[in-house]
Amino acid sequence: MPIAPKPDSALLIVGHGSTENPDSSTPYFEHADEIRRRELFAEVHCCFWKEEPSMREAFYLIDSPEIYVVPDFISEGYFTQDVIPRELGLTGPTTEVRGKTFHYCLPVGVHPSMTGLILRRAKEVAPDVDPAATTLIITGHGTGLNQNSTKAIRDQVDQIIASDAGYAAVLDAYMEEQPFIAEWDKLSQTPNVVIVPFFISDGLHSYQDIPVLIGIENEVGAAASQREVFRHNPHHVRGKTLYYSSAIGTERLLADVILDQVHDFDQIHKIL
Amino acid sequence: MSVAQKLHDLLESGIHRIGEIEIQTNACNSRYSLFHHADSDLFTKPSFGGLEVHEGPADAREISTYAEDGTYRFTKGQVNLKRGWVMILENEDELRLALDQFYPACVGLFIAQKGGILEIETLREKLNRQTGMYRFARTISDAGAQKLVQEICGPAHQCAKKILWKIDADTPLDDSEASRFNGIPGNFPETEAIPLLCREACNHFVAECRKAAKTEHEAKSAGGS
Repeated sequence: MPIAPKPDSALLIVGHGSTENPDSSTPYFEHADEIRRRELFAEVHCCFWKEEPSMREAFYLIDSPEIYVVPDFISEGYFTQDVIPRELGLTGPTTEVRGKTFHYCLPVGVHPSMTGLILRRAKEVAPDVDPAATTLIITGHGTGLNQNSTKAIRDQVDQIIASDAGYAAVLDAYMEEQPFIAEWDKLSQTPNVVIVPFFISDGLHSYQDIPVLIGIENEVGAAASQREVFRHNPHHVRGKTLYYSSAIGTERLLADVILDQVHDFDQIHKIL
Repeated sequence: MSVAQKLHDLLESGIHRIGEIEIQTNACNSRYSLFHHADSDLFTKPSFGGLEVHEGPADAREISTYAEDGTYRFTKGQVNLKRGWVMILENEDELRLALDQFYPACVGLFIAQKGGILEIETLREKLNRQTGMYRFARTISDAGAQKLVQEICGPAHQCAKKILWKIDADTPLDDSEASRFNGIPGNFPETEAIPLLCREACNHFVAECRKAAKTEHEAKSAGGS
């Protein structure tokens, strides 16, 4: 959804980051670069939980009096509902903090337009397959501590099914709860399978853990920049043809979903 | 006045260093050059003495992500920035974008400090705010926290930032290299550099507090059993 330029406002993208994996923050900076390139805001910044600049320093990055904060997270949960508001001093949808107005948008992962992004990624990683002979699996961590991310994935599966994308089946599967991604071949009735990790960044899960679980790597390897694992599609494994994508957050056009959340904030809260 | 404009004024006042980076202003065309201060001699030579040229701020993150030995620089205050490059920037906005990648928020923090609006948070305020897995970090003793500052902070360890915070409102940091450090690596004159500032303990320090607090707790439990 295109948004009208906001020449007096800043966009602050909030990400998790990592003290161990330098690829963790790459997507956030790429999303920021893409939006900066479009010249829609006076300024675009990123801030993080685990990297610099921290959320606690973000205030001092910004010139504009009005800031849209978009959590670049795949779901609602502890970070979007507790940590980010606490660290930025936000007490509601709009908060005045030391003379600046902060608008707190919803995270990217819960926006319906993520569906189009997932379908685009699935098409990109497996351009020649017939969807009618393909199972599309969206995978995530899955854990009792993070029910919201499981819900976000299930919501995307429902939306993809409703979109008539033409896949023989669309499923959710997880690293640590049923249905398990390790059983992807048993879950699929089709000769082709496409797996899209529902994470913002590539890291331990998409580089190491999931490839081992799905059988395209024999053992866990080194952590950083293991992009090779995404370059050997398709994989002929367990009697099927498997296409394995990098994390959905590495899609540069996730920038559009960030803008969609800004647009929706204005619609809901009637900012003119 | 924007941060970029204030940055311009700082450079006009004679500042030309931040962290390990030298900032050269080309008075003829208002362009700026950034390079590692240890490469200053190469910069003055023809073709920048073979330094790899980067036009614009886009590569600043890539240059600052890994040290020369391949280590991931997850705190940008470390004194191990790569050498061998020069970055050419068209104006203050590009300069500001580049410096925000090399030393995130450091220009803005210094400007806020000069303007008297920089808010500092003590360690206890920081730790008492934590929830979830970091909540336990608040149990660290003052002695344990003081020891961590000396082991983790400071140019000899993870970070060459000037620590502005205290343990709590009444408890300053014990004297050490870390507590004394002024945020300007290399004994450079304070009038010519933007210091790197630490307005509150970072998430890495909080994570270390949690580990140390657990160790203290285990030691106490073992001692009591």
